[in-house]
Amino acid sequence: MPEKKIFCIPETCSKKELLGYAQPFFKNNGGEIRAAADDITGRRRSKKTCFLLTGATGFLGIHLADMLAKEGHTVILPARSWDNTAPEERINALFKWLGREGSPSCVQIVPADLNRPDLGLSPADYHRLASSIDEIIHCASDTSFSERKRPQIEKANVENLHHLLEFAAKSRCCFFHFISTAYAAGKKRGVCPEALVDTRSFFNVYEETKHRAEMTAAKRCNREGIRLNIYRPSIVYGHSRTGKTLRFNALYYPVKILVFLKNLYLEKHREQALESAERMGISFSADGTAHMPIRIEASPSGGINLIPVDFFIAAFSAIMETATDGGIFHITNDKTKPLFDIIHFTRKYFHITGIQAVAAENFPAGHPNSLEILFNRYTEVYRHYMQDERIFDNTRAGAILKAKGISCPDFDYRIFSTCMRYAESVNWGNAS
Amino acid sequence: MSNPLDHIPEEIRRTAAQCRHYAMCKIDYLETGLCPPAKKTPYVSYFPQGRMDLCDALAKDLIPVTGAAVDIISSCTLCGTCDRQCHFVTGMRPMTVMQALKAFLDAFLKKGGKAAVIPEDEPLKALKNIVGEKWATNDPAHLIAYANDPFPLADRQMPGYVVLPGSAEELVEIVRFADRTHIPAVVRGNGGSVFGFVFTPGIVIDVNRMKKIQLDPDNWTAVIDPGVTAFELQKAAAEQGYRVNTAEPAATVCGNIVCTGLFSTWANVYGVGADHIVDMTFVDRHGKVFTANDRNAPNVFGFEKAVHPSPGICLQARVRMHPVTDDEEGLLVPFTTLADAVSFAKDISRRRIGLAIGVLGGHYLSTFISPTQSLARQTRKIFSDILEMTYVVSIIGDRYARNSIRQMVPCVIDSSTFRMFLLGLPQLIGSDLADIVRGLESDRPAYETVFSQEMLPVLEEILTPSPGTLAAAVGEDLRDFYEELYSRPHMTDLVWLTMFRIVSARMSRHKHMFAFLIYIPLEPVDAIHELITCFSEIAEKHGIDHDLGFIAPLDLGKRGILEYDYYIDHTDSADCEKIRLAMTEVEPMVDKMSRSFKGITFLKYIFSQGCARKENFLYT
Repeated sequence: MPEKKIFCIPETCSKKELLGYAQPFFKNNGGEIRAAADDITGRRRSKKTCFLLTGATGFLGIHLADMLAKEGHTVILPARSWDNTAPEERINALFKWLGREGSPSCVQIVPADLNRPDLGLSPADYHRLASSIDEIIHCASDTSFSERKRPQIEKANVENLHHLLEFAAKSRCCFFHFISTAYAAGKKRGVCPEALVDTRSFFNVYEETKHRAEMTAAKRCNREGIRLNIYRPSIVYGHSRTGKTLRFNALYYPVKILVFLKNLYLEKHREQALESAERMGISFSADGTAHMPIRIEASPSGGINLIPVDFFIAAFSAIMETATDGGIFHITNDKTKPLFDIIHFTRKYFHITGIQAVAAENFPAGHPNSLEILFNRYTEVYRHYMQDERIFDNTRAGAILKAKGISCPDFDYRIFSTCMRYAESVNWGNAS
Repeated sequence: MSNPLDHIPEEIRRTAAQCRHYAMCKIDYLETGLCPPAKKTPYVSYFPQGRMDLCDALAKDLIPVTGAAVDIISSCTLCGTCDRQCHFVTGMRPMTVMQALKAFLDAFLKKGGKAAVIPEDEPLKALKNIVGEKWATNDPAHLIAYANDPFPLADRQMPGYVVLPGSAEELVEIVRFADRTHIPAVVRGNGGSVFGFVFTPGIVIDVNRMKKIQLDPDNWTAVIDPGVTAFELQKAAAEQGYRVNTAEPAATVCGNIVCTGLFSTWANVYGVGADHIVDMTFVDRHGKVFTANDRNAPNVFGFEKAVHPSPGICLQARVRMHPVTDDEEGLLVPFTTLADAVSFAKDISRRRIGLAIGVLGGHYLSTFISPTQSLARQTRKIFSDILEMTYVVSIIGDRYARNSIRQMVPCVIDSSTFRMFLLGLPQLIGSDLADIVRGLESDRPAYETVFSQEMLPVLEEILTPSPGTLAAAVGEDLRDFYEELYSRPHMTDLVWLTMFRIVSARMSRHKHMFAFLIYIPLEPVDAIHELITCFSEIAEKHGIDHDLGFIAPLDLGKRGILEYDYYIDHTDSADCEKIRLAMTEVEPMVDKMSRSFKGITFLKYIFSQGCARKENFLYT
């Protein structure tokens, strides 16, 4: 006999009603769900669960695929060709990057395209795939922030989710795991709960589409009797012990700009470089330390919420294993890092002076120097995240992680230098 | 086993067959001097272009080794001028062909080979009577250079005779002789011929000896002979502080006027068709001479949408010159979408801001500024994928125009930034800048950040622009030449480059270009999009490389001219078949579009009506 629904949202419900249902999230409203929690746990333990994981060609996705493979699960990775590289080749290269010999035997790569309603599969392949999978982990996402890319971001983060949810509905999927972001909370100060929130105000289109995607997933999963977990990581950086990462945006990008400017002048012929650097307001001391007068606006109470990828993976695994009833989980750092600290780390590690965090009220209006204008142009989209005043409540996730003995490391100088050493060793990901 | 020098190696023949016939070796556009024998005896056969044809023909055994062939090959001094000239536009190195020809001839003569003697016939004698012994020939080594061009849909056709008149009187006599004897005759300038129009089994009249230019500053006009090329006229006018509106540098001005009418990005202010002409003198096919301004003469200023024969052979033209101010400079305005670029070009044309205006696609811009094909390919990728600079509007304007433009758009690439970019281009490819910009997240296109004032000193440091930096992109043996070449300020001056257009022949460096030119309305932009989409779809269907060339506004932005280009290997029969099939779809497509949108007119209907008033074909 099918189990009673543990949550139920009427198909026609409004956003307000949806939020009502979601506080607290996923109530048992007497409907039918596709699989009992015990069955799900049992299948996972006996390694009979087949996961479909999207976004495996990305940084988080490949780590998730690796984690599932290591745990012995069967994993199907839908992926498309890119830049004349076949899906298998792309994913194999990423597994090799992780130190594996290639894709593990329990991993199956399926050429597919989430941009298309039929996932780019023939009806027969679509049906075959739908009847194979038990759970879906949706990690594919467009993490761009810029408004002018809105159509592409909406397509990737919302429309493609519809395609996947439609597939889930037609499949035997009983659990949908959605990787969202802590910043789906939108523009706000103070505590952001582990719940769907009603807001129409966001710092960028990425936050907005992730918020809309959460709503969409919740509604459709309820309708279909599919359990849903929403995982909300904050800003993910490389591995806390090795610094290994694939992407050098977010935390890395502003630092990369500074290092780029410093090295540009340092690596050139000394005399010529000094003259040219002077025009930019950059000078060098005898030991090669660069003086770069840049004031960066910072909030004394805000900072950057950073988590390493290894923590994210461990947290995801623990939550997935424990939270079989569904829910929303913040995978964040209890210790938000003040921008002052990051600047200090940067100065120390890269031998740069002159960079200062300046409180907004003390930031001189007008007359920024050329270097400041340039730095601001390149890092504008990260400004909100560098002085973020959102506090992510992680009561639910925290309880699970605490029970499992998982904690997020403080982003200290040791980790910073590990990450930066790795970034330098791979030329910040620039193969050329 | 045969002596390897007995024949021309296939690899060399293939190189020779790749000659695009753009005739850039026939003008001294790099101040290297012309091929020395060709300067003395300007049959096409003495120019590198003709020597390439000769090599191909000898290798294929199409013609015997004749007296002219011996003279043509022997006269080559292996000075290397052809290598420098040809490499600049096509990336090809004709010197290997010239060396192979010499080796071939040496082997032929050492083996006791005798040059074939081609007997004179009566028509040749008559032609020689008109122009003199030296300037008429029926030797296949000369004829072969007038027998074909890269146009893939026309077969090779050997003429019976080639004749080079030295004056209008001689030219008229040749036409009368041809009419009398019913020998077909065609005229060709010294310019590039790529549309298969100038072939005949009869007489080819080559006007390359008729190069007189008389400037008349009091009337802002120039009187020119039919052999004067665009480059030569522009140079003469520029030396006196004027400018003419001309087409491709190697093309003859008179030929261009009669054939398609002159158009360029300068057409925005100087017009097209009859706008350039004060008067022209023609000889019709019966040998009757008339001038365009004669009230009883055929009306060359009218237009009918039909394929017409030309009014005759132009003997002389009086064309307009235009004043130049000393504060003109070029600038580029980048855009991410074609619609925005066209809209801006139309807007400034309507406001009478700027002189030359052209919307350039990514292929044109990257190819124009890159000395090698490989650099062009990488540059284009950076421009479009990273800088998001998919289109640019290229503008020449005085300081008032430039100031206005700066107030209209958030980003301009001025002449000094352009120079920096051009001279530092190889450094851009290998720099970390691309990586930095790739990671840039902004609500504005990346080019706005990269070309911001604060970024310019950084760019300069990255690019380290200098003639030497740019020269590093070419082969080691050409570096000194390129370094010296790009030390000349005009080689990086957008005004000069736009006037003399010496880099535009680079657009077909990778493959022969098949250009479609269409007069268009600049609004609605949907018409342009639809036209481009149709061109693109046809090309894709047939597996043909293709790209938008340029769009230039005309007549205050109400109309414009669009070039869409297909690229094929003209020596590959499969490619030729592709273009043949595509052509059967292109022409009906454009005709259909012209019925749907007012102002769309295929240039093929202007052929031979190039003297027409623009109003007659733009608004009918």
